Amino acid sequence: MNPVFPLNLWDVSLILAVTAIILLVTSEILSPYYGTTNLKINKKRLKNSAITTSILFLVTVAIRIATMIYGMS
Amino acid sequence: MRTSVNSPRAIGLILLLLGAAGLLVAIIYSSSVPALISLGLIFWGIIISYIQSEEYVKKTILNSTSTTLLTALDETLRSLDYRGKAIYLPPKYLNDPQSTKVYIPKLQNGTLPSPDATQKLEMQPTQKDAQGILVTPPGAELARLLETELGTSLLRIGLKDLPQRLPKTLIENLEIVTNCDIQTSTNSITGKSPDAQTSQNAIFVKFNTPIYKDTCKRATQLSTIYSNIGCPLSSALAIAFAKATGKPITIKTQSTSEDGSTNETEFAIVEEPTT
Repeated sequence: MNPVFPLNLWDVSLILAVTAIILLVTSEILSPYYGTTNLKINKKRLKNSAITTSILFLVTVAIRIATMIYGMS
Repeated sequence: MRTSVNSPRAIGLILLLLGAAGLLVAIIYSSSVPALISLGLIFWGIIISYIQSEEYVKKTILNSTSTTLLTALDETLRSLDYRGKAIYLPPKYLNDPQSTKVYIPKLQNGTLPSPDATQKLEMQPTQKDAQGILVTPPGAELARLLETELGTSLLRIGLKDLPQRLPKTLIENLEIVTNCDIQTSTNSITGKSPDAQTSQNAIFVKFNTPIYKDTCKRATQLSTIYSNIGCPLSSALAIAFAKATGKPITIKTQSTSEDGSTNETEFAIVEEPTT
């Protein structure tokens, strides 16, 4: 049996999209402008993680678009 | 010996291990469902390990320690009988530009001495003919923390940029205020001769602080602190304005709400003595 990674780029993109949405919404809810929260978490790092995951998702989308454009020609 | 367990790190590590094991199983059996689940576990493992909780201290501890220091400063100034209006000095008045001092004149209508005189006073604080005293203000370390969070020295930020940058740092980075509004005003008063033209500069600050509300409330009961040196937050703001403008600053008026959470302060830029 030849071991193969069973996911393609689109699956990884989906996971990244879901994770990015959860993190972005959480970081916005925990924003000090929204009100005082009692969650003891490093909000700066949470925001950084949300932005990084979003960028990673956009990179996968860009790869997909590039594949579509250059794959046709 | 009891060892403390860092729970977010432990949870993150467990998720990472589970994810790695799941991914291995998914690759062996070429199954996409365990692969999706384990990839999700790995992502969350990394995120939870990275987003660790910060170190927090109870507000009651913060208040009880800071109010004691304010009371001690108030008692010291009252026992030494320094009645003048506290003046926050910009770096040119001090030997070390990184240090922060407030000048309190001996007499109620005492004026600001020259930069040379304050530098001399800093070197020899016990000189007999001194007309005032140099004290490290209660917001000195908070102002230093502000500089760290801003990522630059307050000397490099002008008064023009400060109303935009300071509230963001206080609300988002330090989380000590829930809202902060800074307004600057310059009213030119023109006299009969061109030399008599002076400018009255004032900075109005309104902030809401759930963290320092008890300390600010306590400060209202201290005669030499309230409307003079200010509560730690007002003091830190006065230091920031003194550094940003490069001119001496005083707290002109200060009003605090009954619970101490809302504070409105008017800072004035002091006219410097002509040499």
